[in-house]
Amino acid sequence: MKTILLSAIVLIAMSCSKNGGSRGQEPPPPPPVKEIVYDETGCLYTAYDNLVMAGYQGWFAAEGDGSERGWYHLGLGSCGGFKPGCSAVDFYPDMTEYTQKYKTPFKYADGSDAYMYSPYDESTVDLHFKWMKDYGIDGVFMQRFVGEVKNTNPKGKRHFNKVLENALKAAKKYGRAICVMYDLSGCAPEDVAYLEQDWKELQTIFNLFDNKANPTYLRHNKKPLVVIWGVGFNDNRRYTTANVDALVDKLKGPEKRVSVMLGVPYYWRSMRNDTENNPGLHSLIRKCDIVMPWAVGRYSSGNYAQVAGVELAADIQWCKTNNVTYVPLAFPGFSWGNLKNDPAQYNSIPRLKGDFLWQQVAGAKISGARSLYVAMFDEIDEGTAIYKCAREGELPLHGDRRFIGLDPELASDYYLWLTGQAGRWFKGEGGFGTTKPVRP
Amino acid sequence: MKRTAYILSMLLIAFTACKKDNYDGPTATLYGNIYDAGTKTLLEQDIIRGSVVEIKEHGWENVQPQWLIFKVDGAYENSLLFENSYSVAPVRGNFIPVEPQDVRIAGRTQLDFSVTPYIRIVNPSITRNGNIVTATFSLQQQVTNNVRKIGLYAHSDFRVGEPLRLTAAEQEINAVTDPAHVYTLTIDLQAPNIRDILKPGKTYYFRIGALIDATESKPNYAKAVAFDL
Repeated sequence: MKTILLSAIVLIAMSCSKNGGSRGQEPPPPPPVKEIVYDETGCLYTAYDNLVMAGYQGWFAAEGDGSERGWYHLGLGSCGGFKPGCSAVDFYPDMTEYTQKYKTPFKYADGSDAYMYSPYDESTVDLHFKWMKDYGIDGVFMQRFVGEVKNTNPKGKRHFNKVLENALKAAKKYGRAICVMYDLSGCAPEDVAYLEQDWKELQTIFNLFDNKANPTYLRHNKKPLVVIWGVGFNDNRRYTTANVDALVDKLKGPEKRVSVMLGVPYYWRSMRNDTENNPGLHSLIRKCDIVMPWAVGRYSSGNYAQVAGVELAADIQWCKTNNVTYVPLAFPGFSWGNLKNDPAQYNSIPRLKGDFLWQQVAGAKISGARSLYVAMFDEIDEGTAIYKCAREGELPLHGDRRFIGLDPELASDYYLWLTGQAGRWFKGEGGFGTTKPVRP
Repeated sequence: MKRTAYILSMLLIAFTACKKDNYDGPTATLYGNIYDAGTKTLLEQDIIRGSVVEIKEHGWENVQPQWLIFKVDGAYENSLLFENSYSVAPVRGNFIPVEPQDVRIAGRTQLDFSVTPYIRIVNPSITRNGNIVTATFSLQQQVTNNVRKIGLYAHSDFRVGEPLRLTAAEQEINAVTDPAHVYTLTIDLQAPNIRDILKPGKTYYFRIGALIDATESKPNYAKAVAFDL
């Protein structure tokens, strides 16, 4: 009996000592992963700071442009495509300066044909970026709808890659900032995960992070920036905030490969109205670098100050406290009567000859914003475009429908000019205030 | 006997119950100040219907908030709180809303707030020349909302403001203001409707205020100035 006891004690003692010994032999913890350092020599846009940039849809296609997508995003399936009496778009571009254009089924009152451009053409995107330079708009965020660039949609992917190729070339040529902006609308959870693969592909195809190949690719916090739009909305999306959180972890990785801007609903801070009540959204925002709330349709000129005043200032304060950059959105107006097949939706948020856009520019500036996101450069489906659009009286006929033109007393480039003035103000030039600047 | 035993049992239960249910009284104090984060000065308040500190005690379901009021100079104190953790935030105020913070309140706990006022009243001046009291000032609004109105308020109490005033010279603005503009408001002490209210031989306090047009907003103020009439 005694022997058993003694043996047991010895065993215990040995095992203890063994344990102690083995601790010393454990492999050392892996060295912390070093944060990646990029060469930013020659980079023109190293922070989304003091910049006025716009969103660039680039999703239009024209019959005959080689994309094989027909009148993509111009026509409406429910009424038979792109023809008089049927279109997805309310505004019509001013076609004067395009060198490549395509005859449409539309005609003007004098019987002449109406033409349309396609961003599939290099010359067209070149023209758009030339305008950005001419009017002092710093650059654009290239929209990339995950559902459009999946491998199951080869024509979509080819289209968006061609537009991006055109844009990267033009951005470099005109010294304009450029950044990829993924839109998760319509995604399933597995599509959110697919984004990572697409993003890797883009880096390989276009050498996005190379400071010589793409010196104007937008960077922030010393990393190239990628935008993920559409997280936190309470409109029953199939993917969750947790899906996006996992994606951000993967995109950044332990070496913090990229900076991330999140596109979130307008009431993201108080988690009400358009926003899910999920504190996980705030945790996700805190691990990102920039937050940009979606303001399109959330107010009009009449209630802008009431809706946006305190919201903006409190958002900016939250972001300062949590060390996240805040970028507010401004849009010139809204109109989607043709897309919604509802004439009551024409000019549903009136532009008021630029007063509404300037109200938001001034509001953002007064509230302490340092940069601006203008929605959008070329969005004519929802009528938020700032690029050159045809004026009332200069529009093609549209059967029992209509196109919406700019006010005839404004030049077709007025909103490019006005956005450029916002750019000057955000860069610190004096002489700007709440009163809309007068064009000489 | 049975009855006596019953009564004794009930008494025992009652006493034990009382002893068991008796929590300690409120022993903790929360106090502090609310500052303008930009100027680092105290943010002036109204004593009635002014900004409040909202506190919610942790550990209870559906807990009712308690509200602590600010004094006119922006200080607050409440010494009848139970020691515990609370969510605390100044709310319904004259400043850009801030997020609540979790605070352990025990003994005397100091908690200052640093906020951005809706409006800063810049270069305020109140002078008296004969029967005319004149206020001049500019407005530096920190949000893009309209300024609803400005006012010069008078009362015999130093806590003069909204609604504590005997008379006021107010001006509707309903616009975003120009920071360079100098506003002037006057009170004529001899005006028929005022001379019976602000009486000679007494001291009155005059204070400049401005109200932003935002939900539940309260006026911003400059410091009150006293005149012996």
